[in-house]
Amino acid sequence: MGVEYEICVTSQLSNLSEIADFVSDRAALTGLDERQVFEVQMATDEACTNSMEHAYEGREDGEVRVCCYLEGNDFVVRITDFGRPFDPNNVPKPDLVSPLEERQIGGLGIFFMRELMDSVEFSSDPVAGNQVIMRKRRRKAATA
Amino acid sequence: MEIKTEHLKRCDLITLSGRFDSSTAPELEKALRTSMDEGMYRLVIDMGQVEYFGSAAIRALVIAYKECRRWNRGDVRLANTPSNVRHVFELAGLVPVIEMYESSTLAVGSF
Repeated sequence: MGVEYEICVTSQLSNLSEIADFVSDRAALTGLDERQVFEVQMATDEACTNSMEHAYEGREDGEVRVCCYLEGNDFVVRITDFGRPFDPNNVPKPDLVSPLEERQIGGLGIFFMRELMDSVEFSSDPVAGNQVIMRKRRRKAATA
Repeated sequence: MEIKTEHLKRCDLITLSGRFDSSTAPELEKALRTSMDEGMYRLVIDMGQVEYFGSAAIRALVIAYKECRRWNRGDVRLANTPSNVRHVFELAGLVPVIEMYESSTLAVGSF
């Protein structure tokens, strides 16, 4: 594992843009292309939104840590919170095929994370907290 | 993030710029709600300056889309959608459901 870069913020939704800038910069510096940088940024934004809105249930004094590193050819983002344990299996899959007028809106955040990244793993531990580990494979040869 | 609403003869033109994440999506919801509360259900949203449009913003958009189209009283149409945002709309199954135009002039003219 290479060098880890970390940002730690409180669970206020207004901190999402700072997280987005941090992750986009790191992703671009490790050689991800423009589309991949956007995808990583969006998946991270959705994961952190889940931490703030669901794990901390809107409380604004929780801690959200976002850590980025390179592992082999994978750009890895690890998001940690210490809120309510989260089971992604309890989130219903979004309906993407019914006429839009009939669709229930929800479950898009986790759906986007899985679609935009090459892998997404969730874990919950009383000490280590809730973690989401997401990987994006670099298209280019490693140069960073 | 900035939202500007112009009242045109046949529709409202809502021009967005910046980031629309869970922190700013409520402002979008409010702007769309204001047009609908004023009885305007034909909305054009110019996305040209949008940097990011997350799931919370998509929810706000879909809520307005459903409400505007109820009883065939209107529609929500998009203009200048950036390719990254369009990519997300494709994943969310919104393409080709929501009408998209290359310019706000074309979108406004479609009403």
